[in-house]
Amino acid sequence: MRSIRYRPFLATVMIIALISGCSLGGERIYTDSRIAMDTIVTISVVSDSSKEASVSINKVFGEITKLSELANFYSEKSELTAVNLSAGKKPVKVSPELFEIIRLSLDIAGRTGGAFDPTMGAVTALWDFHDEVLPDDTKLNEKAKLVSYKSVVLNDKKGTVFLKKEGMKIDLGGIAKGYAADIAIDLLKGDGIESALVSVAGDIRAYGSKPDGSPWMIGIRDPRPASPTENILAALPLQEMAISTSGDYQRFFIREGTRYHHLLSPKNGRPVKGTQSVSIISDKAVITDSMATAVFIMGPEKGLKFADKMGYLAVIVDDNGRIYISEGLRDVIEIKRPE
Amino acid sequence: MLSRSKGLNKRFRPADIFLLVFLLSMSVSGIFFIKEVMPKSTNVIIEVDGKQRYSLPLGTDSVTEVKGPEGPTIVEVKNGKVRVTESECPGKICVKQGWVDRGAIICIPNRIIVRLDAEYSDKELDAVTE
Amino acid sequence: MPSQNNLRIALLAAYAIALHAFEKLIPTPLPWMRFGLANIITLTALVLYGFRAGMMITVIRVTVGSFLTGTFLGPAFLLSFGAGVVSTSAMALTVRYLPRLFGTVGISIIGALFHNLTQLMIAYLVFIKRIEVVIILSPVLILIGTVTGTLNGLVSSMLIDGIKESAAETDGAVTAE
Repeated sequence: MRSIRYRPFLATVMIIALISGCSLGGERIYTDSRIAMDTIVTISVVSDSSKEASVSINKVFGEITKLSELANFYSEKSELTAVNLSAGKKPVKVSPELFEIIRLSLDIAGRTGGAFDPTMGAVTALWDFHDEVLPDDTKLNEKAKLVSYKSVVLNDKKGTVFLKKEGMKIDLGGIAKGYAADIAIDLLKGDGIESALVSVAGDIRAYGSKPDGSPWMIGIRDPRPASPTENILAALPLQEMAISTSGDYQRFFIREGTRYHHLLSPKNGRPVKGTQSVSIISDKAVITDSMATAVFIMGPEKGLKFADKMGYLAVIVDDNGRIYISEGLRDVIEIKRPE
Repeated sequence: MLSRSKGLNKRFRPADIFLLVFLLSMSVSGIFFIKEVMPKSTNVIIEVDGKQRYSLPLGTDSVTEVKGPEGPTIVEVKNGKVRVTESECPGKICVKQGWVDRGAIICIPNRIIVRLDAEYSDKELDAVTE
Repeated sequence: MPSQNNLRIALLAAYAIALHAFEKLIPTPLPWMRFGLANIITLTALVLYGFRAGMMITVIRVTVGSFLTGTFLGPAFLLSFGAGVVSTSAMALTVRYLPRLFGTVGISIIGALFHNLTQLMIAYLVFIKRIEVVIILSPVLILIGTVTGTLNGLVSSMLIDGIKESAAETDGAVTAE
């Protein structure tokens, strides 16, 4: 009699175990979005412990905030502003991190023949895409002369930065976000996180795969979307790589039918025509962030050749909406733009 | 008392199977039907200091006062668009941004993010480079 | 006999409360989703001891359960009470009038269905007042209810067999117990 009484109980326990089995344990994606670097930073990590995930994520946000305080072009208190204010006067000692970003940006400027130039600050300060301020021609010409990455002097031993021309300004807006994404990934790897996706605005770097084994899937924004809900140009898996996009739709205003956007030519300080958007894929976000800008400035054809030569993968949309895709991407990319 | 109910305990009868299959197929097709028919509802998510505080339907007009560290920020939803009408912050960049139907409005001094939920047309994507 | 019946009802009601409390510990994919394990007891009692026993157990479970969680006469109580009473009645009516049409599993599914429909009705009338929410929720709830109802029905059916067998073994001991 007694043995029989246990049977339904056992059956119940077994059924419960069966149902709940699928939801027990295992890895999950933990995601957190916060404001940092004057934008939205989103970090997703794969972990089997929410505590481990949040500890790592908090650490990363702490580092990114520190970095953005150093490299903020608009903040009066940042080290970068101290360098800019001493232009033409004296070298300024900066923290090793800021020194490293400036060194990297000059290196990239050299590699792109000045298509990417971190000393665009004097020009960018004239434009205001929120208030739709169109700068005065003479002023623009005058400030464009101050754009020259070759006039930045780095002293490795002393850790100082010196801008030779008075009025010269370094603006790291085209590289700091990518650098932040790289730092985030390094920190997460150091914490033993097996898989993560970091996106600092549009600068994205990923490693590992999702809990189900599939790779992180990244969309590229359509520069001219068919509708607000159909705004993805293409999608591709991102593994151990970074991707960044520069587009004329990110910050712009339209005046008398002309689109004035934030991707300015280092030569004349005016928006570059011929391209709608450029996405670059490479191993580091600091590269993709700055190179997307550089390739945009070069224009579709020259830019694609340059990317090929450097070993970067590229997706370029030209002025007529034509899409150029690097050969190495054609097998994995999926075009999402509705026909 | 027991004898009255004897023979009642038949685990499955044909009608059970019929009922089971009927309800399963009705509810599953119902779920798919509703997914197709219902307008894709986009939500306006308002975050303060990284924490989600509000989720408002974009289809319903509303005015919400959000308290940030600097003071109140007023978010208005109307005709499927969202804007910040007033904000206690120095630059008022969020107010200048005007009506938005995609992406996000960020008020950095007041630590407020107003973003649209179904921002990307493809839900399988983990991130979008833009 | 009546006092013994009351004892049995009290015991089963206690089981139902325990099961109900226990299932709150089981993680489910949706926070408000429950398996309705207490229905195993209600259904078993209903089949073995009749409508009065089943209904008593439901009412006791809902009321005493709400005392324990401090939700007596609150919104959650209203939902559980209404849904419990309607679902027990629906199962009792099936047992009474369609005894040969549905098996134990079928009766359990009917109970789960009426439980969900009543909850949706009450939620619509008292709390949500937005029909689109009810329309979106109903197929999901019915799907989950049908699956859990089937599983609960299987367990009840085994339980009923077990009790019947033990009653047959001791032969007549049921009345003398």
